[in-house]
Amino acid sequence: MNNIWGDMAQYDPVTWNWIIAIYLFMAGLSAGSILIGIGLRWYRSEDDRKSTKESAILKAAAIISPIAISLGLACLVFDLTKPFHFWLILINYNFESVMALGVLALLAYSPLGIAYALIVLRDELPRWKLGFLLPVAQVLMPFRKAIEVLLFILAIGVGAYTGFLISAMNAYPMLNTAVLPALFLVSGLSAGAAANLVVALLMFNVDSHDKELSKMHRLELPVMAIEMMFLFMLFCALYFKGGAAALALASLTTGVWASVFWIGVVGIGFGIPLLSMLMPASSRHTKTAMIMVACSGLTGVLALRHFIIYAGQSYIY
Amino acid sequence: MSKRLIMIHDENKCIGCQACNIACRSENGTPDEVTRLQVRVEGPFGDAPNLHFKYNRVSCQQCEDAPCVKVCPTGAAYVGEDGLVSIKAEKCVGCMYCVAACPYKVRFMNPETKVADKCNFCKETRLAKGELPACVTACPTDALIFGDANDPSSEVVKILNTKPSYQDKTHLGTKPRLYRIPTKRGGSSHEQYLGRYGAI
Ligand code: SF4
Ligand code: SF4
Ligand code: SF4
Repeated sequence: MNNIWGDMAQYDPVTWNWIIAIYLFMAGLSAGSILIGIGLRWYRSEDDRKSTKESAILKAAAIISPIAISLGLACLVFDLTKPFHFWLILINYNFESVMALGVLALLAYSPLGIAYALIVLRDELPRWKLGFLLPVAQVLMPFRKAIEVLLFILAIGVGAYTGFLISAMNAYPMLNTAVLPALFLVSGLSAGAAANLVVALLMFNVDSHDKELSKMHRLELPVMAIEMMFLFMLFCALYFKGGAAALALASLTTGVWASVFWIGVVGIGFGIPLLSMLMPASSRHTKTAMIMVACSGLTGVLALRHFIIYAGQSYIY
Repeated sequence: MSKRLIMIHDENKCIGCQACNIACRSENGTPDEVTRLQVRVEGPFGDAPNLHFKYNRVSCQQCEDAPCVKVCPTGAAYVGEDGLVSIKAEKCVGCMYCVAACPYKVRFMNPETKVADKCNFCKETRLAKGELPACVTACPTDALIFGDANDPSSEVVKILNTKPSYQDKTHLGTKPRLYRIPTKRGGSSHEQYLGRYGAI
């Protein structure tokens, strides 16, 4: 642009891009998957309590959660303009900043997630040629309950934190709403459930009629309903605030982010899983069908993060 | 009493010449791709022959309740003893949270230093020596006035007491320290025209 006042490129309101959307997705996925894994373990039947074997869902969660958060953090670090100075963020804390609080939570959450994975996957370790980690798992074993409780609490924090992170900016009406952390936590739960299912089916060869699996399956519909309700609340809040906030509703009708919302979030994310429930039980419970539905759920949550990041930043007060 | 340094941009006097923009660039060694200060000429507004333009100064508003300072995880963005919002380069990791959070979109990542950057009223280069910010000195029409709003005898106080002024996006509660005097049309711009050429 050749304005007399100079280049306008730096004034693009979209500062955070898809890398941050992926980070938000990974953090939600990590937290959601472990919350569901631990939650189901706490609510297992008396019979299952007697067995010393870990459920396939918990094993899946124990793998997904540390890997997802590590990938997410890698995205975050390499998105910094000074990635090799990332340690600055670990030694300087501004406790007013949501990001600083998030760093503290992640600092505890990530190693605890790895420790918990070693405990849950102890029988698996030798098979994966990671037998040398067994002694570590043995040492951690007595602290299982404490690690589990702490991890669960931190996971709630991590799941909601990404929502707080972007809702703390009062420049953007679509982001600056109280529903965002709740929306991110629930959509993280649905991503976590979907990923747990895929990994349990593919890696641990669990039967598609497995008890735990169907317990998790029963969670899906209510979680999705709550997710839709929060989305609806988000748009209602914008509508009733009026003015610049209501203008942000245009993101639902115009531009590429409208397509991402209606095709990605609503069509693939909600539509396919809901329609699949109309299929006859016999075909619905095949491994392929379940994996396909789970993948569409994951795609929907990924699309939601992109929509929120881009559409959210495009409209400014 | 502590100082409250403010700047007034008189949009009535401003002609959009960008002398302030260029002075800023050379004072602060701002890389070509980025800018600390622009005066955007917006408009025309109204119907001919009563057209008028708006001269919109786009630069850090030095918010008293600054969103960029609140969100910065490391405290690199901070409020100094002089009350001005500045950046400690050695603490900045380049997370761009402040860039995203600034409601005026005036923060940017400096492509050379990789650190968040913005206007600081020439705090280190000129205020420290008792000089005025570069843009204020360069302005040919005296559209920029800088001073301590806590000093009742200062020029900025006199102007704020006698002329209508506004600040941008006050509904966000940021309390900007950049005040603007809106453009008046008709008689007043005639008066300004005469004033500029020494007729009155
Ligand atoms: S205008 Fe932006 S960069 Fe300047 S103090 Fe306010 S929030 Fe910070
Ligand atoms: S980019 Fe630098 S100054 Fe801005 S919030 Fe991040 S660490 Fe703070
Ligand atoms: S130097 Fe003065 S007149 Fe020229 S654009 Fe800047 S403020 Fe306006």
